[in-house]
Amino acid sequence: MNNIISAKNITKSYGPQLAVDNLTLEIKEGEFFGFLGPNGAGKTTTIRMLTGILKPSKGEISLQGQSQNGNNNNAGAIGVVPESRGFYEWMTGKEYLEFFAELYNVVDVEKTVSKLLNQVGLTSRANSTIKTYSRGMKQRLGLARALVNSPKILFLDEPTLGLDPQGQEDIQKLLKNLNQQGVTIFYSSHLLTEVSDLCTRIAIINRGSLVAEGSMAELQSQMSTPGQSLKDIFLSLTKE
Amino acid sequence: MNAIKQIWLKEIKEELYTWKSMVWLVVTAFLFSFTTYLLLTNKELSLLDQTELLFLLSQIIIGVGLLIITIDASSIITSEFEKETAESLFLSPIKIKDFILGKFLASFTLWVLIFIIATPYITVSSAGSNLVLPFLGYVLFLGSLGVSAFIFLNFAISLLYRSSKNTLTTSLIVLLLLAIPAFLSSTFKNNTLGSFLGKVNPIDNIFGFLDNVLVDYHTRLIDNWQFFVPVIIFFALMLLFLIYAVRVFKRRGLIQKEL
Amino acid sequence: MKKFYLLVLILSNMLVISYTSAQVVSSSLMLNILSSNELNGTAGDYVTVQAQIKNISTKPQSNIVTYLSLSDNDTKLPVDLEDWSAEKGQFIGSIDPNQTFPLNWKIHFVKAGSYSLTVIAIIEGNSRPEISTITHFTVLAKKNLNPAHVLPVALGTPIVVIIFLFLIASRRKVDY
Repeated sequence: MNNIISAKNITKSYGPQLAVDNLTLEIKEGEFFGFLGPNGAGKTTTIRMLTGILKPSKGEISLQGQSQNGNNNNAGAIGVVPESRGFYEWMTGKEYLEFFAELYNVVDVEKTVSKLLNQVGLTSRANSTIKTYSRGMKQRLGLARALVNSPKILFLDEPTLGLDPQGQEDIQKLLKNLNQQGVTIFYSSHLLTEVSDLCTRIAIINRGSLVAEGSMAELQSQMSTPGQSLKDIFLSLTKE
Repeated sequence: MNAIKQIWLKEIKEELYTWKSMVWLVVTAFLFSFTTYLLLTNKELSLLDQTELLFLLSQIIIGVGLLIITIDASSIITSEFEKETAESLFLSPIKIKDFILGKFLASFTLWVLIFIIATPYITVSSAGSNLVLPFLGYVLFLGSLGVSAFIFLNFAISLLYRSSKNTLTTSLIVLLLLAIPAFLSSTFKNNTLGSFLGKVNPIDNIFGFLDNVLVDYHTRLIDNWQFFVPVIIFFALMLLFLIYAVRVFKRRGLIQKEL
Repeated sequence: MKKFYLLVLILSNMLVISYTSAQVVSSSLMLNILSSNELNGTAGDYVTVQAQIKNISTKPQSNIVTYLSLSDNDTKLPVDLEDWSAEKGQFIGSIDPNQTFPLNWKIHFVKAGSYSLTVIAIIEGNSRPEISTITHFTVLAKKNLNPAHVLPVALGTPIVVIIFLFLIASRRKVDY
């Protein structure tokens, strides 16, 4: 399989502060890739560089073989659930998805929006303003927006944050379905059980640097004590 | 083109459905009604010749337009940053120029709506004076230039500071600094400094232009070139300021600070 | 003694006569406004001020500039003739003795009120201007506007705006 996401020696600094340090990631097409790290490790900065929102201070990024250094040339092929969760609260869920569908030049806007609302379980609240949505509903709406252009790569930054167990379960099911349909998923989270359940390969980042990468079995083999849980591996690699 | 249209439509719908600017349009209509009726029924004001009355009305229309557009344009960009919707927007295929143009069209549409509301007042006040078309034409033309320049100014400050409070404060100060001298008596402009400021002040020149057209019947554009040039210069300067601000914004990036 | 006082009286009279003659002799031009009775009008009117200048001296007069001077009788202040489109002077290269020259200015009545108009002529090299007699005229206010005609617009426009906005907003499908 080809590398659909390639990040080589990417670094991001804000003045004297190094947020991401010489990070290299290669993600294959169709993978469900987990990206773990404690708070402030550089996960969001990495995702922003990969999605073109931030320009790396050094290094090269490419998606589907196309350069992605601080531009949104690949915007049509990727879907993102970003860290910032702002919505146009005056819009209804339907209007919100229609707006983004138009921005992505989706061909059949009405049909696509209807399908997405059904997929995320918001059909009954489609004509309610986002202001009236619960946190979980907004999360699902954000995911629907990320899928509006039928992306090949989906970046998710803490997509189940603040959701109840049922809500988390629903999102996870949806993501598994998408992955089975061939969508590459880059999943950033600090919820270890979720990542170990969903992801085929995992990378762990701490203080801007990659500290481990591989499948669950590969990560376990890298540890001195065999058969450790992901939690134990994570804690031992990221302790102060 | 589609992105520009979508941004423009989104903003217009937000203005309509949240009644944000719609309240201002209703207030504007009442203000014009009150002013026009007062000009005709107040004992002192009704002695003014019709042309003086038209000139007063044109000052009010343009003044109100500049004020409302300044308030609207100060938050139309900054709200995307403050409400954290900018990231989702810039993750889509939209370019910064589409974003700016769409927002500009939305703010400018508000001015057009104010002008449309002013049209019946202009028409009825100009009755019998043969000045209806020049009045309508020049208020639209000069108002559009002035409003556009102030939109550019607001957008530039918005991109540099990303704060609606800072943007609104700064642009209102600029508006007041330009508008107050324009309303001052010519006595204050008798000295060298006052005279120079009067020559370069775009609002002063817009009013001078309208005075020349409405009171002195010099309706040709060429007759008013000395008023027109400073307005164009101000427009060009604000546009350059916006272009500079866009470059700074692109260099700094959407996310200014992290962690 | 009587003869002495008589001589002083004769001499002083001669001095007075020669002084006043000098006054009369230095007025070499006579200016008249001919259309005095036709100047009353209404704001917005364009009126022609007809005047004439005559050389009443025995020598030709050269390089004469003539212009109007207008003042507002209510405010007691001079009026800027640029607003009235009559600010330009008229130049006369030379005028022979007893020759009469016509002068015309088109003036635009821009403001109602009571005014005083004179024509002034300045001869090059002569520090004292020549002034015509003063003509008074009145400009009436132009009343096209009747508050009753404006009332439907003043009342109706805000109502139309509210209805229009309400109709647009109500077309939106929102579940509450």
